[in-house]
Amino acid sequence: MAITRRQFIKRTGLATAGTVLGPGLFSNMFVRNAMAFSGKYFIVLFLDGGNDGLNTVTPFNNGGGTLRTAYDGNIPANALRKTGAGGLNLSPTALAGTKLTNALFANGGKDPNTTCELAIHPGFNDNPGGGLPSGGLKAIYDQGRMAVIQGCGYPEYSLSHEESRNIWETGNPLGVSAYAGTGWMGRYLVNTAVSPPPPYSATDIPAVNIADSVVGEYRNTGTSVLALRRLADFGFPYDEDYPGEDAAKEIAFEALYGTAAGSGNPTIKYIGNTGASTETASEQYPQAHNVYHSQRSSFEDMYSNGLNTGTARGLREIAKIIYANERNLVSGVDANFFQLSNGGYDTHSNQGAEDTNGQHYALHSEVGNAIRLFWEDLATMGAGNTNIQNKVCILVWSEFSRRIPQNDNGTDHGSQGPMFVIGGTVNGGVFGNHPNINMAALDDEGNTEYRQDANGGYRSTDFRDVYGTILTRWLGMSQATVLGNVLALDGGSPAFYWTAANFNLGFLP
Amino acid sequence: MGDENTVLDETTARHLLRRTGFGAPLDDIARFNGMTRGEAADELLAFNPSSFRPSAPANDRDKAHNKWLKYIIRSRFPLQEKLVLFWHDHFATNITKVQDVIFMGNQNRTLRRNCKGNMRDLVKAINVDAAMMRFLDTDNNRKAQPNENYARELQELFTLGVNDFAGNPNYLQDDIVQIARAFTGWRYEDNGDPFLNDNQHDYEADFPSRGAKVIYAGNAGVALRPGGGDIKQPGGEGAGEIDNVIDIIFSHTDTNGKNTVARRTTKRLIEYFARPFATPIPAGDVTAIDAIVTTSGFATSFDISALLRAIFTHDIFYPTAGQSTQNSVKWPIDYVVGTLRQLEMKLKGRDQYVNGGDFTRAIDRLRNMGQEVFDPPSVFGWDWETSWISSAALLSRYAFVRDCTAARGSGGTAFRPSKVIDFSLSDPGDIVDAVTLVLGVADQLSAPERQVLIDYLGPGPIDLFDYDTQNAKLNGLFALVLQSPAYQVH
Repeated sequence: MAITRRQFIKRTGLATAGTVLGPGLFSNMFVRNAMAFSGKYFIVLFLDGGNDGLNTVTPFNNGGGTLRTAYDGNIPANALRKTGAGGLNLSPTALAGTKLTNALFANGGKDPNTTCELAIHPGFNDNPGGGLPSGGLKAIYDQGRMAVIQGCGYPEYSLSHEESRNIWETGNPLGVSAYAGTGWMGRYLVNTAVSPPPPYSATDIPAVNIADSVVGEYRNTGTSVLALRRLADFGFPYDEDYPGEDAAKEIAFEALYGTAAGSGNPTIKYIGNTGASTETASEQYPQAHNVYHSQRSSFEDMYSNGLNTGTARGLREIAKIIYANERNLVSGVDANFFQLSNGGYDTHSNQGAEDTNGQHYALHSEVGNAIRLFWEDLATMGAGNTNIQNKVCILVWSEFSRRIPQNDNGTDHGSQGPMFVIGGTVNGGVFGNHPNINMAALDDEGNTEYRQDANGGYRSTDFRDVYGTILTRWLGMSQATVLGNVLALDGGSPAFYWTAANFNLGFLP
Repeated sequence: MGDENTVLDETTARHLLRRTGFGAPLDDIARFNGMTRGEAADELLAFNPSSFRPSAPANDRDKAHNKWLKYIIRSRFPLQEKLVLFWHDHFATNITKVQDVIFMGNQNRTLRRNCKGNMRDLVKAINVDAAMMRFLDTDNNRKAQPNENYARELQELFTLGVNDFAGNPNYLQDDIVQIARAFTGWRYEDNGDPFLNDNQHDYEADFPSRGAKVIYAGNAGVALRPGGGDIKQPGGEGAGEIDNVIDIIFSHTDTNGKNTVARRTTKRLIEYFARPFATPIPAGDVTAIDAIVTTSGFATSFDISALLRAIFTHDIFYPTAGQSTQNSVKWPIDYVVGTLRQLEMKLKGRDQYVNGGDFTRAIDRLRNMGQEVFDPPSVFGWDWETSWISSAALLSRYAFVRDCTAARGSGGTAFRPSKVIDFSLSDPGDIVDAVTLVLGVADQLSAPERQVLIDYLGPGPIDLFDYDTQNAKLNGLFALVLQSPAYQVH
C-alpha cells in the first residue's frame, strides 16, 4: 500500500522536528540557539469592550500625590466616582484585601510617580468555592509573578471599539501602510529577522486562536494560524450522515493534495502544502483533547463544570495543547502562541463597584479565577508533573479604558488603561505611572492625556513599549529587528508621539 | 496572435466565463463556443447597470452583507458583480471604520452604476462619497491643518500608483499637500449629500506659505510634467477644485510619456480577470498593456467598458497552448457564490445559511475564509492570490462545501445532484468526468488526479438512483472535487 503524505509526516516526524531531535542534538550550541523560542508559550487575553482601568487599578491613598483625593473629590459634584447606590467608588475598605503594596517589588508595588498605594479590583481576589483555587490574580501577584503596567495608550486615541481594537492588534496607531492588514504577532511569526523559528512557513501551525476566525494580532501572510473554539470539534469536516465514507475521502484528499504539493505551479504547490498540513492538523488537534480528557480529567472538570465560564473554557483548550506538546503526546500539536478573549467590558451602565453581583466584579472574577486555575494546571503540566509556569507568559489588554468621571451608573469610552503580564519569569510589581486623573488634567472628553514627555511625572506608557519588551525579552527578537519589522516609531512631537522606544520596562528579565 | 475576430472554442469560452462570472455554466459555454472574442465580450458587457443598493438599518452590517451576497448569487449579469467587487477592493472602504451601513450601501450603488462607465466620473463620485469621506478623513480636513489621508490614497491607490512602470515616482509630497488643500472643508449632510463648508476651505490668499495650488509642476528642480496643472482652473477656487484635481490626474503622463492612470488601471484589471504579473513587470507585458490602452482608447475616453472589451479580446487574457490557467486563487466570494451557482442551490432565510451539515451562515464561513464584503481590512483592500490560503481559511472552505453537499432537504436550498448530472451514468470514469465538468475543473485535472477520484468511487457499475450510493458516494465526490486544490483556483 502506498504511503500517504500524512503517514510520511508521521513516520519521519517532519512536522515535529522538536520531538525527533535527540538530546545529543540539543547539546549542540548552534541548535540550542536556533531553537531559542521552542518550549515557551505566549498567550494573549483580550478584554473585549473597554475595561475600566481606573476601577481595575485604583489609588488606595494619596502617597505623595493627590490621586485618591481626585478620585473621591472633595465635594460630591467634583467626585470622579460617586459613593453609595449606583456609585462606582471603590472605598479603601473595599480595596483593603487587594492592595498591590509589597516591599519585595520595585517601588514597593506602589505607583512609581506619586508613591501612592494601589489596589486591584476585588473581583481579582475571588473565591469560587467548590475546592477550586482561590485568590485569582491577587494570589499570583503575591507570588511575584504578575506585573501591572499602568497608563498604557497611544497617540491620537480613538473612542471607537473596532478602530481602537484594530490599533492595538496591528500595533499601528497611525496607520503605517506597510503594516496594513497584518497583526503585530503575525508580523513576528513570519519575520525573517529572527530565525529559526520564526519565521514559520505556510505548512507550520505556530498559533491557535480560541475564536471563530483568526484575530487581528495574528493576521499575517505567511503562516497558518488555527481558529477554533473547541479542539474536540476541530475535525476535518466530513459528512456526518455518512461516516463510512471518511476513510476513502481521506485517502483521496491526501492523494490530491500530495500531488498538488509536488506541482511545478507555485500557486498549486502552496495550496497543496497548506491543505495537507491543515488536514494533518485536523486529525492531530482533536487528539490533544482526547489525551487531556482522559489523563487530566480533574482539571478539565474544574474548567468545564467548576468555573464553566468562557474564559475558563478558552484556557482549557490552550491547556490541552500545551499539555500534549509538553509531554509529546500528539505528533504535530506544537503551537506556542495563543489568543483568547473575554467580552462584556462595555460597561456604560450598571457597572457596579465592589458589589459581587455587579458586572465589573463578575468580569474580573471570571478572568482571575480562570487564570488562577490555569496557573495551578501549569504547576504540574510538564513531563513528570513538573511545573512549567516559567515557560508561559500571558498578556492581558483591552482596547481602551473608560471615562474618568462616571456617568449615571457606568462609564463611557476612555483612553489609557492598565495591562497585565503574568508568567513564571515575570518580575512582579507595578510598572508605568498611574494616569493623571486630577480634574484639571483631563481633556475635553474627560479622559486622561497620552504624553511621552515627563509631564510632571505622569508620563504615559505606550502599549508598543509593552509589546517591544515582550518581543525582545520573551520572544527572542533584538530591539533593532523589532523596529521596522514588527513596530514602527511615530513621527511628530516627542511629547505627544512614540518617537523613542523603551523595550526594557522591567517586567521581564 | 489572436484578436477580436478569433473564434472561441470550448476551452477558451470556459476560461472567459469562469473569469468573468462565478463558475461557468455548461449551457453558457456551449453558447459562447463558436463566437468570436469580440462578440463574446460584447455579450458579456451588454447589461444596464442596476441601481441595487444593499440596504439595512444603520448598524445591521450582517443584513447588508447578506443582501448583497444574495444579490450576487442570483445575479443575471455576474460580470456586473465581479466589477462591483473589483471597484470595492480598488476604492476599499470598510464598515469597521465607517460604522454606517447606509453610507456603505450608497457607495455600493455608486460603484454599481459606474462599474463599466467612465472611470474619471467614477473617481469624481468617490471624491464626495460619504463613506469614503469618513473612511479617509475628508470630513476632518480643515484649512488650519489639511488632512492628507485622502489626497495620498487618491494618487497611490485609486489612480496613479506610487511609481510608474519605469520605477519613477508619479508624484511628490507637495502634490499630496496641494490636493489635500483642495479637499479642505468638504463635508456631508446626515443623509450623505456632500457640500463644501466654505469657512473650512483653504484659499491661497489665506495661506501664502503653502504656495500655489498647482500639482505635478515639479518641485526640487523637477520640470512641470505634461498634464500637470493648476487646481484652480477652470472656475477659480472653491467647490470646483476637486473635479479639477481629477481631470489633472487623468491627464498625468508617466516618464515613458504614457497616460499613467490608463496603464495602471489596465494592469490591475488584467491582474483581476486574467493573471498576476511578475515584478518588475516584464517588457512583453508592458507592450500588451500599451496595446490594450491604444485599442480601447481608454487614455482619452476612460471608458471602462471599452477597456474591458480590449482586455477580453487580447491574447494576454487567454492562456496559450501548454500554459496553465490555474494561476489565480479564487476569492472567497468567488468560491462561495460559484459553488452555489454550479450546484444550483440557494442559501436559506434572512441569515443566508447553508441548509445542511452544520447549518452555518455563509457570512461566518466567509469571515473565516478571510473575506467579508463591506469590510476589507484596510484602504489597501484585500491581499489577493495565495494570501487567501491558510489553514483556517481552507477548513472554512472545506466546511462550507461539506455543508452544501450535505443539504439533503427539499426545495431550492437543497443540493440535488440530479439537477446537474445525468443519473443514468454508471461507469466511474464517466461519473467523475460529468462532475468535474459541471464544476468547471475537468480541464485542470491531470490523469492521476482523475484516477484518484475514480478510485474513490470504486468499481462500477454504479447505480446513482440508489439512495445510499447517491448520498454517500456521489455527494462525497462532489465534496472532494470542491475541496480539491484545482477548485481553489480559476
